[in-house]
Amino acid sequence: MARVTRLGPGVYRVNRSDEESGEHGRHDIVYVAGARGDTWAFWNGRVFRPAPPADQPARTRMPGAVQALTSPMPATVVKVLAVPGQAVRSGDTLVIVEAMKMELPVRAPSDAIVKAVHCRERDVVQADQTLIELE
Amino acid sequence: MIKRVLIANRGEIALRIVRACRELGIESVAVYSDADANAPHVAAADRSVHIGPAPPLESYLSVERLISAARASGADAVHPGYGFLSQNPAFAAACEKAGLVFVGPPSTVLAQMGSKISARRLMEIAGVPIVPGETPRDQSDEGILQSIARVGLPVLVKASAGGGGKGMRRVDAHADMLSAVQAARREATAAFGDGALYVERAIPKPRHIEVQVFADNHGNVAHLFDRECSVQRRHQKVIEESPSPVANARLRSRMTEAAIRATRACGYRNAGTIEFLVDVSAGRGAERFYYLEMNTRLQVEHPVTEQVTGQDLVRTQLLVASNEPLPWTSGSLTQRGHVIEARVYAEDPARGFLPQAGRILLYREPRMPGIRVDSGIEEGSEVPLHYDPLLAKVIATSATRDDAIQRLMCALREFPILGVHTNIEFLLRILDHPRFRAGDIDTGFLDAEGAGLAASSPAELPGPVQAAVAAHESESREETRPSHPDPWESLRQWRA
Repeated sequence: MARVTRLGPGVYRVNRSDEESGEHGRHDIVYVAGARGDTWAFWNGRVFRPAPPADQPARTRMPGAVQALTSPMPATVVKVLAVPGQAVRSGDTLVIVEAMKMELPVRAPSDAIVKAVHCRERDVVQADQTLIELE
Repeated sequence: MIKRVLIANRGEIALRIVRACRELGIESVAVYSDADANAPHVAAADRSVHIGPAPPLESYLSVERLISAARASGADAVHPGYGFLSQNPAFAAACEKAGLVFVGPPSTVLAQMGSKISARRLMEIAGVPIVPGETPRDQSDEGILQSIARVGLPVLVKASAGGGGKGMRRVDAHADMLSAVQAARREATAAFGDGALYVERAIPKPRHIEVQVFADNHGNVAHLFDRECSVQRRHQKVIEESPSPVANARLRSRMTEAAIRATRACGYRNAGTIEFLVDVSAGRGAERFYYLEMNTRLQVEHPVTEQVTGQDLVRTQLLVASNEPLPWTSGSLTQRGHVIEARVYAEDPARGFLPQAGRILLYREPRMPGIRVDSGIEEGSEVPLHYDPLLAKVIATSATRDDAIQRLMCALREFPILGVHTNIEFLLRILDHPRFRAGDIDTGFLDAEGAGLAASSPAELPGPVQAAVAAHESESREETRPSHPDPWESLRQWRA
């Protein structure tokens, strides 16, 4: 059993009372913010996402299936290294995007053929926007 | 004395400069892009000028817009902060031409030291040791590959205009040479508009130790001791401290003497930092150090030196820019106790340290003795994706290194930032690492140990977190319940 007291906006004191007396039990301060389904919590230097947005559908690779490689974040495309029809090896860098002054390589997750390229150099792309399709 | 300073920067450093101005009775003028209209640095300053859209090239990196903002606001001086245009000779020259005092060295010094190639040459002449290497006259891929072959692997390929690891690549194997050279040149061209490269031998397990220097307009040059910054990820500093845990009195005095020689050799003015790579592999008393580069500006980690010496560097910058003499000499200062700074970044260590953008839902700074927080955000702030992901710096001061580590860990455990992922848990794991505790670190420490330190928290919520989240969610349900119940809502309840 735990007793929770709201101390202020987003601040909760949680009394752990293993014994019947909660008064003298150990307590913890937990910070919580965000709407339901997008909640963030902080306790003892650690951040928790109790209900993260539903994970994207697992990108399991069926033979012959098409797989989309997306930008991990809003970014600018600095280099496109793949061309349609190209055979690529697992780990090959296919696109380099840049955000916050940092270059991030978008790599092939497995050996595949490039089916289509959906970006050009200097394009501004959004998070999860498809950059390359592999098959 | 200068009267009104335009601060050509944003975030925590802009706030830091606003405060130093206020203490001296100098007016501050903030500048802001579209993304920063409601940012804390704008609210804190005495005046503010909008300078353009969010992309830095059209705002914080636009010399033209900053100069006209300075003119429009009646500023007589410009403080560039760090990053952005702080080391850009064209910006300093434009200030000089417009009759504005640039709070930093003259544009000619920025140009000379900013070209790492010409700085290396100058240091060699001044008798400051430099890392063995060469600058290929032939800047083609082929020319640089030949240089690499002569210097001998492993090497670092570096941008002449570079800094902070941008435009730099380490090469260990022949197969990677060409792609490394091209990536370094591409990054250098994009970041600095200058793709010139040079090649340095990679020093094995180097430590990064730097010396803070200061020079006034009256021929006085002083140092403010060392800072150790060996905890780096991809050449970005993460934790800095002073005094360095490996520098004994002899090494410290050799390094500070070399730093003063370097500062005098380039005719430096105002605050600067001489960065050294230190090879400690030959053991105590046989350390070798090499000039790495000079940072011709205030450093992100300047609070470490402020706390350990008790001096205010930003205030001193403004005094020196106003033609005042330095308020102290090297001999009059000491390093008192131990200071450690941790940089809190908006990044997700569990996902390859991806920079994070978004809204800060909750932000509470730790309040405890011996803790200083320099921050550029507050609750409700938007963290834009366009700029450096540094959110705040937490600086712990205590009598000994162990105590300072302990104090910093306590502060980080009481520093909730929600809404974007941060590296706080990662910082705590570094501070708790046996190698860090022992002071046994080199610049490769995070590359070697970082993967384990970056692991994400387990998906399962600890009991107290579960309980608090449940309370929070039931509370927000109550808040959103309409005061006049919707009949359909009642119907649904009735049916249930």
